[in-house]
Amino acid sequence: MASKGSRWAYQEEDAALEAQLKKEKEEKKRQKAEKARKLEAERKKQQQQQQQAHDTAAAPPPPSRPAANHDDNDDAGVSEPYRGGQRDDGNDGAHGPPVKRRRISPDRDTAPTAAAAAPTPNPAGGVGVSDSTSSSSSSKLLRFEGGAFGRCHSVENYDKLNDIEEGAYGWVARAQEAATGKVVALKRLKIDPKDRSGLPVTGLREIQILKDCDHRNVVKLQEVVVGDDTSKIDSIFLVLDFVEHDLKSILEDMPEPFLASEVKTLLLQLASGVAYLHTNWILHRDLKTSNLLLNNRGQLKIADFGMARYVGDPPPAKLTQLVVTLWYRAPELLLGATRYSTAIDMWSVGCIFGELLTREPLLQGKNEVDELTHIFSLCGIPTDDSWPSFRRLPNARALRLPHTSAATGAATGSVIRAKFPLLTAAGVALLNGLLALDPDRRPSARDMLDHEYFRQDPKPKQEAMFPTFPSKAGQERRRRRTTPNAPARGQQAVDLGAVDFSGIFSGRDREERGGGFSLRMV
Amino acid sequence: MSHMTNPLATPDQLYQRRSFSALPTELQDAIFFSAQCLTQAAGVLLHLPQSTTAQANVLLARYWLVEPFMSDDYEFSDMSAATLYLTAKISPTPRSPRDVTNVYTYLLSPSSPFLRPSSLPRAPNIPKTYYLSQASYQAFHARLLAAEAHILYTLSFNTHVALPHAVCITYLQALDFLAQQRKEPLAKRALAHLNTALLSPQMLYLTSQPNALAVAAIYSAARDVGAKMPECEWWEVFDVDREELGFLVVGMRSVLGWARKMRVDVPGMKDGGMLRRADVEGEMRRRGLFLGNGRAVGGEEEDPEAEMARKMDEKMAEMEARG
Repeated sequence: MASKGSRWAYQEEDAALEAQLKKEKEEKKRQKAEKARKLEAERKKQQQQQQQAHDTAAAPPPPSRPAANHDDNDDAGVSEPYRGGQRDDGNDGAHGPPVKRRRISPDRDTAPTAAAAAPTPNPAGGVGVSDSTSSSSSSKLLRFEGGAFGRCHSVENYDKLNDIEEGAYGWVARAQEAATGKVVALKRLKIDPKDRSGLPVTGLREIQILKDCDHRNVVKLQEVVVGDDTSKIDSIFLVLDFVEHDLKSILEDMPEPFLASEVKTLLLQLASGVAYLHTNWILHRDLKTSNLLLNNRGQLKIADFGMARYVGDPPPAKLTQLVVTLWYRAPELLLGATRYSTAIDMWSVGCIFGELLTREPLLQGKNEVDELTHIFSLCGIPTDDSWPSFRRLPNARALRLPHTSAATGAATGSVIRAKFPLLTAAGVALLNGLLALDPDRRPSARDMLDHEYFRQDPKPKQEAMFPTFPSKAGQERRRRRTTPNAPARGQQAVDLGAVDFSGIFSGRDREERGGGFSLRMV
Repeated sequence: MSHMTNPLATPDQLYQRRSFSALPTELQDAIFFSAQCLTQAAGVLLHLPQSTTAQANVLLARYWLVEPFMSDDYEFSDMSAATLYLTAKISPTPRSPRDVTNVYTYLLSPSSPFLRPSSLPRAPNIPKTYYLSQASYQAFHARLLAAEAHILYTLSFNTHVALPHAVCITYLQALDFLAQQRKEPLAKRALAHLNTALLSPQMLYLTSQPNALAVAAIYSAARDVGAKMPECEWWEVFDVDREELGFLVVGMRSVLGWARKMRVDVPGMKDGGMLRRADVEGEMRRRGLFLGNGRAVGGEEEDPEAEMARKMDEKMAEMEARG
């Protein structure tokens, strides 16, 4: 990773290298264009020939013929789909060349394998040999590829380079695959040997979900490897794409905040990743800046699926409310909802949006009650208008909120507009939508992608034009600021009890009356 | 697309299993069948949805394709319990190790009617036979967790199973079979075929993708209830070719006949209940066959090649002596 350092300091060699690369690229482009031209010409020629052939031979092409093996057919009644086929089989000679058979043994070249066909008549049912039978027929059938299965490889195939972080949920290191030299991130699954229920379900879910995911904004799980002693599986490592940065440490260290165009690019990528997850019925449940990775090419990847799970529609009835790191936790979760949906992720996206603008986490509550206080003072007090169903949530019954009458209504509404004076109206509308108290009013990730905000100038910056940052994960241990962790499994959910929020707005009347607007640049 | 695709067995894996296993094919099939039935029975007693139990069936089949039957140290029923426990754990309906242990202890006891031939009288229910002492609970629990980890290791932690059942219903809707109430038997029958296919020692779920299984089940069901299907090659609409359809239909429909015959032919199956390692080892001894690695029968280790060489040497010596 020495080159990473030089990326930072631009040198003469770099310039030379770049020029050379550019030249090579152009050369390649030229060759490609030429090839395409040739192909096109060839295709046209073929078409012409075919046309001719078709005109001359009036006879239709030979019908598709089935190639079924009837020897193992012990139920005579089933053979009906082949009756036509059987007749055909009889006069095979008359009809020209025999039908191509599907490959049924592992490899024809290795002689003895033909025997494999005997016990299981056709093991190759859909193993990739896609069109051998359908090639003769006119229809083109889709083949589904699902890969294969087999044993785990050993972690010994990787050489550790350096630790990246050690958090509440496990240990992550940068490592290099010995065979290919590829740099990866190894994440060790935390296993409690005293856990009477075996391997942790969160880890298994994370693996399952990551294996199912394939999107450019979701971190890619390459494989799962285990320690060398396979008689007892006690160390499990996830091999993930190595990504140089996480957004949190970038935000902490950058001298100037992201430009508006950069914020848009990051948000768009985040939204498209979240949209992918949600369309595949996955709730992430722990979106925060430290779980968003950014590589040196400006590409954002969502990581850490330790809290994620599959959900249906309607969402399952009893989900745990103890999800999402406190500062990014949606109000309905804080109020004890156990039936929630994709909107909780959208709330977190809203918090991340705010954080990208200010470089500071938006709602830094010290505990659940304090977090709610922060939320209500930013987004306003929930009313029957702004969040009709909130009184039905378990923890909401005992809340004492300031009175919202017509007179004081203005003073208890959202102050998002005032807090982000540099944001355009569309930007504020989006942020307001994402941070809507009522989960049903938050936009979905798909809606968000189409939002006006991203069409306005400045346009989202191209990923390739992103500035690069020195990679902490590549070189050194991170300086950690104290951020609360995602809640642990099995922890008790806090019963908020009777909490008095009526004091939140006590000072606000005076402030608002002052100038009527705020000039504070954040 | 993951709802439509499964990782499939490679031809090599199937070939290895059939050709290089320590056990004769019919014994392998008997073990496979009884273990899959055991999983199903346990799924019912644990009130698990069939979607969970069926996934456990598929995972167990995959496991045994990678890890041959006698090569690990686990009892077959332990493997069944561990796959079921594992799939339930990652599903929306987890079950505690205690519940799983209780159910398996009952099913494996002489009081259980599991796989008991109807020719035999009903087993008397003697609660003492399925009483679980604390020590045996601890032992079973430990085996369960070890087996779970071993399964995950063997399958590279890939627990993804796409079942054809939902696909099947969608296809029936597309064929307009669910519009009328009286067509319901067709759907029921098709799902029954899919569930039967889980038990087939041909491991249909490991060789075909869900769409093909669903189409084959519909085809079979339509034949059973005499429903009229489209005249054309309708299976191609669902991306299944005629050959694969034929193979699957035969495979699904032959399970019943095969299982009946097997239960008479394979000695361990006559008295009902789950096959155990000891039964298989006994049967192998009876046939004069030895299990590999010398572990099971206590004989010394000898690899097949060395054995062959030794036999040839003996033969030569014999011939030379005669000559």
